Amino acid sequence: MWASQNKLGKGYVIASTYVSIAITLLIFSILFCYSFQAFKEIGWRLFTHNWNPATEEYGILPMLYGTLSVTCIALLIAVPIGVLTAIFTSEIVPKQYRLYIKSAIELLAGIPSIVYGLIGIAFFSTWISSWFDLASGRTMLTAGILLAIMILPTIITLSDDALFNIPKKYKEASKGLGFYSYEVIQKTIWPIAKKNIAGAILLALGRALGETMAVMLLVGSIDKIPDSFYKVISPGQTITSKLGREVGESAFGSLHFSALNAIGFILLLLVITLTVFTQIYFRKKQETL
Amino acid sequence: MSRKVKNSLFKSSVYLASFLSISILLFLIITLISKGINALSWQFLTSESSNFGSQGGIIYQIIGSLLLTLSAAIISFPLALGMAIYKSEYIKRNLFQNITNTLIYSLNGIPSIIFGIFGLIFFVNILNMGISWFVGGIILAIMILPTITLSSYQSIISIPISYRENAASLGLTKWQVIHTIVLPRAISGGFTGLLIGLARAIGETAPIMFIATAFSGVTFPNSFLEPVSSLPTHILALAQQATNPQALQNAWGASLVLIILVFIFSISALIRRIHYSKVNY
Repeated sequence: MWASQNKLGKGYVIASTYVSIAITLLIFSILFCYSFQAFKEIGWRLFTHNWNPATEEYGILPMLYGTLSVTCIALLIAVPIGVLTAIFTSEIVPKQYRLYIKSAIELLAGIPSIVYGLIGIAFFSTWISSWFDLASGRTMLTAGILLAIMILPTIITLSDDALFNIPKKYKEASKGLGFYSYEVIQKTIWPIAKKNIAGAILLALGRALGETMAVMLLVGSIDKIPDSFYKVISPGQTITSKLGREVGESAFGSLHFSALNAIGFILLLLVITLTVFTQIYFRKKQETL
Repeated sequence: MSRKVKNSLFKSSVYLASFLSISILLFLIITLISKGINALSWQFLTSESSNFGSQGGIIYQIIGSLLLTLSAAIISFPLALGMAIYKSEYIKRNLFQNITNTLIYSLNGIPSIIFGIFGLIFFVNILNMGISWFVGGIILAIMILPTITLSSYQSIISIPISYRENAASLGLTKWQVIHTIVLPRAISGGFTGLLIGLARAIGETAPIMFIATAFSGVTFPNSFLEPVSSLPTHILALAQQATNPQALQNAWGASLVLIILVFIFSISALIRRIHYSKVNY
């Protein structure tokens, strides 16, 4: 009886592993297959400015630009605030309160993106439109600010772990040399923690690139690169917002659908490269330590 | 600049940043609670929505969301458990470990909207299952698979080697060892992962909005292949008619309910994690 259970059990674990692997590979291959038509028929014309399914123009540059600028804005805001807050929670807050603060931040990270989108629509877009005197507050800047708030908890908790896990003796030795706390952090803690903080930022970047709902509600959804490329206080379009808005409307199997798949595939490649890169980077670091 | 000035500049920027973060945190929590509590009532929770969601309640949205997450849990948990056991007990070569790691991390990194497109192509169109809650459950199950697998795997590899040695010296077969020693830990760790995964799954909009949900006129599904309505997609629809104050009010109410559901999952995961981190062998 045990012998048969042995086989049965092994069969079960092998089957579930191969099913999981097959699903992952299937996602990649399905997305590639369905974007193939667009790559073949549109080719290099994908990298142009106009997107208009009626005239069969599928230029994805506005979406790439939108994704890039929204993500950059988010990181520019969230990284300094996040890392400095992590210094606060790991170095200044007394140890017994640190767990509570961390739990609160982690719970915040769990708020669904659609709820952030709702807050963005109700508050941020009206603020932006009144501050900059715009007709509509749905701009790339609004989406970037909201995205910054969404990735802030990730950056804070992971950077906090990186800073907190540095052995106490380094800090004490450094203080003993008469350094100010700024110098302790700059000369002793930062060199040790910076790799893990970079990892935290990469993870946050991956999340920011793939974020859909909040961005879709706030970015303005206009496929245009503004006249001057740094003018982010104007409506734009990101890859994810484009997919969220149009996939439901396009006919299955059409060139339009395929072109949307193609941007999805490009996004997938971007995010996966980032993920795998982060993983290899961390593994190397672990080996060298 | 003298050292002292630099130090105080640095300190004040740390305090400023923390103040900003904490005010953002408080702003979010206070807004969600104060706006949501106005909309909440027993009637709101137990009646069905009408007039494109701007009137009535959210009972079918709550049921739909729970149905989606429950089916995701039932599909995903056994699969993840098997994979975690296979990964820890059977894969010996480093190369295969690295390959499975990379696949799990890639699956974890796939943006949620891509899952939605995959589901639309594969399940809705190729397998011709139509827009249905069951497809939504499958897609959410795939999405949370890596979380459960990794959590389960982590608790398997934390089993002390002496346990396995004792079991082996008693003459237990490999599957008996798995059954008596590995499986209980795998299930316990996997369950924590499941709670974390469900906290994420219940709030996701992008994967299910093309494949599992319809907006109005949806009641309790009679079969596997019918669409449901869910809280996140309901909020999305209401947020797009934000100029209507009644719709916005209902959106805040639905958001608060959704967040409470998310927090139930994530706080139980947190409690389990703290509890089990204290367990010593």
